[in-house]
Amino acid sequence: MISTARPRSSIWSYRSLILNFAQRDLKSRFKGTALGWAWSLLVPLATLFTYSLVFAVIFRAAPPNFGNGRPGFFPVWLFGGLIPWTFFLIAVNTAIPTLLANGPILQKVYFPSYAPILGAVVAILVQSLIECGIYAVALLVFGNVGLSWLLFPAWLAIYVLFVTAVAASLAILNVYYRDLAHLTNVALQLLFFLTPIIYQADSVPAEWHGIPLREIVLLNPIAEFVVSLRALSYDLQAPPFFAWLAMSVWTIGAIAVAVFVYRRRGLDIGEAI
Amino acid sequence: MSDVAILAEHLSKRFWLHTARRTALKERVVRGRAPRAQEFWALRDASFSIERGTMFGLIGQNGSGKSTTLKVLAGIYRPTSGTVSVRGRVSALLELGAGFHGELTGRENIRLNGAILGLRARQIDAAMDRIIEFAGIGEFIDSPVKVYSSGMFVRLGFAVAVSLDPEILMVDEVIAVGDEEFQRKCFDHLFELRKWGTTIVLVTHSLGLIRDMCDQAAWLDHGEVRELGVAREVADRYIESVNDREVHAQPIESAEVGAAVGPARLGSGEVRITSLEYLGGDLKPITVLFAGAPCTFRMHFEAHSRVSRAIFGLGFLHESGANVAGPNSGRVGHLPVERGPGHIDFTVDELLLQPGTYRVSTAIVDRGHTYDYADREFDLHVRGRGDQEPGLTRMPGSWTPPVSVAQANPTLPAHPEALRARE
Repeated sequence: MISTARPRSSIWSYRSLILNFAQRDLKSRFKGTALGWAWSLLVPLATLFTYSLVFAVIFRAAPPNFGNGRPGFFPVWLFGGLIPWTFFLIAVNTAIPTLLANGPILQKVYFPSYAPILGAVVAILVQSLIECGIYAVALLVFGNVGLSWLLFPAWLAIYVLFVTAVAASLAILNVYYRDLAHLTNVALQLLFFLTPIIYQADSVPAEWHGIPLREIVLLNPIAEFVVSLRALSYDLQAPPFFAWLAMSVWTIGAIAVAVFVYRRRGLDIGEAI
Repeated sequence: MSDVAILAEHLSKRFWLHTARRTALKERVVRGRAPRAQEFWALRDASFSIERGTMFGLIGQNGSGKSTTLKVLAGIYRPTSGTVSVRGRVSALLELGAGFHGELTGRENIRLNGAILGLRARQIDAAMDRIIEFAGIGEFIDSPVKVYSSGMFVRLGFAVAVSLDPEILMVDEVIAVGDEEFQRKCFDHLFELRKWGTTIVLVTHSLGLIRDMCDQAAWLDHGEVRELGVAREVADRYIESVNDREVHAQPIESAEVGAAVGPARLGSGEVRITSLEYLGGDLKPITVLFAGAPCTFRMHFEAHSRVSRAIFGLGFLHESGANVAGPNSGRVGHLPVERGPGHIDFTVDELLLQPGTYRVSTAIVDRGHTYDYADREFDLHVRGRGDQEPGLTRMPGSWTPPVSVAQANPTLPAHPEALRARE
């Protein structure tokens, strides 16, 4: 079999490498810490506790009722928004420096530069899925379960593709424009407050000084994903068709950008680092 | 064509030498696009083919494009133009243990590195025991590699790269690390791999390796293939060219080193060596000497008063510290030295020193009294021509053809005609 120096293979054929990178990330993350894996649960729970304290106790934010009609419980409601947000935040923040961190290998062996990025995202996904498990248990405790849960795998598949594509584009571009990492940090902070995570989308004024504020907030793709997850898990309602369409369009767009960035800039990472 | 493992056609690789790369957005915005600084062709229209199961050497001076070629062949760099066709899985050994993660154990790193080299988990597990044994790191295999000694780290890196049945192996002089025993083990293993049909591309500065191990070689010069052919011949022509350049270079250094008497001189000083000059067989000054060639060491001295009895001596120390030889004029008796400058020659018909770097000491003594002693004050570079033998000096002698015990019969001619050892 004749090939070029770089075998022309699909992402699928690199699955073993991607999973190995993911394993490496997972194994090395908590090595040397006393609590080890427990941290991956403690950190999100601590965040949840902090936000609940501030918003439910101090600001007296009232959560909406559960989909089964029972009065809502703020931490659970908040958790449904924090999980997708945290996945996006950590995936992006982890992926951005990952090519530079893997520089020594990328300069010594050929493998596609997306492999360590995808590995990093997979590692983050594992943690997010654990959080999803806890969230599901919490919802079950309140007896809030419904057929709309069946939509979760579809939602997850689209969201994972979206997050991966965004993370990969940023990671590759960061090799060439190193202040992207700092810029992203600022953007992520802004995005957090522009996304209905700690507040409900309805509580945003529809119009403010002639600016259609709510529509702007809901225009951001993360908002679409967060609202949809809450709808199908907490409110027990299937997200409307338009939401699915919007999520798909965002994801296809993100993948198109990622492929473009990879083709233009991702093939010469070994030289650029 | 069916037996070609690697076919490189008209490979060129261009790099842009940015004076300052604008990796910061601000600079891009504020100063605009970085001026397309100088282009630099690391590789220019290089073509060659490498047969399956052979060992191919890449030689050339620093910056001649050897490593770039290797990286293009390994797929790490994309060629600016030209194509590389490869049959078989490529495993690159550009740095031992490059993919290791300090927090992971040896075993976990083997899995990761195997995956980077494109292997399935099953294949890696099958090779696991072999790797651990080859690396010889014992129970450390389940400790994080950050606690490994650098020797263990390197051994594990090599073991992973070569034990995973590479079809094509790219080696970049990394073998020069580790202790001698491990180096020998590595080379034995490379030889073994070649026997089993692995194609090996070796970048090295060691012409001995090229001669001993490679079948074919390419000599790269400023990114272009200058010679391509049988490794032995390419290496010989390369060394000739390097020697030529060195001989014709300005004869500054060695000829004048020590012209002024160094502060570290010992002895009473009635007569001092002022400089040491190297002359070729034609008695013309040269800066490097050639193993096996005639040469003369000319010791220039300055006597402040007449010395009636003196013995002149030279000491040759290899850069490793070994004292190799110490010829002195005691053999011809004590020599009188008149007041004023002068010189004395020591001539050899055939320099027995092997190629390498030596330090030369000079001495003028008389029965336990030292007039002058310059400890390792002069540099001496000895270059090789043709074949090399290991060791610091050659040992002239002759070999017979092999005599089997069954034939070693007194009725047969006692000694078959002796074969003169090849120089």
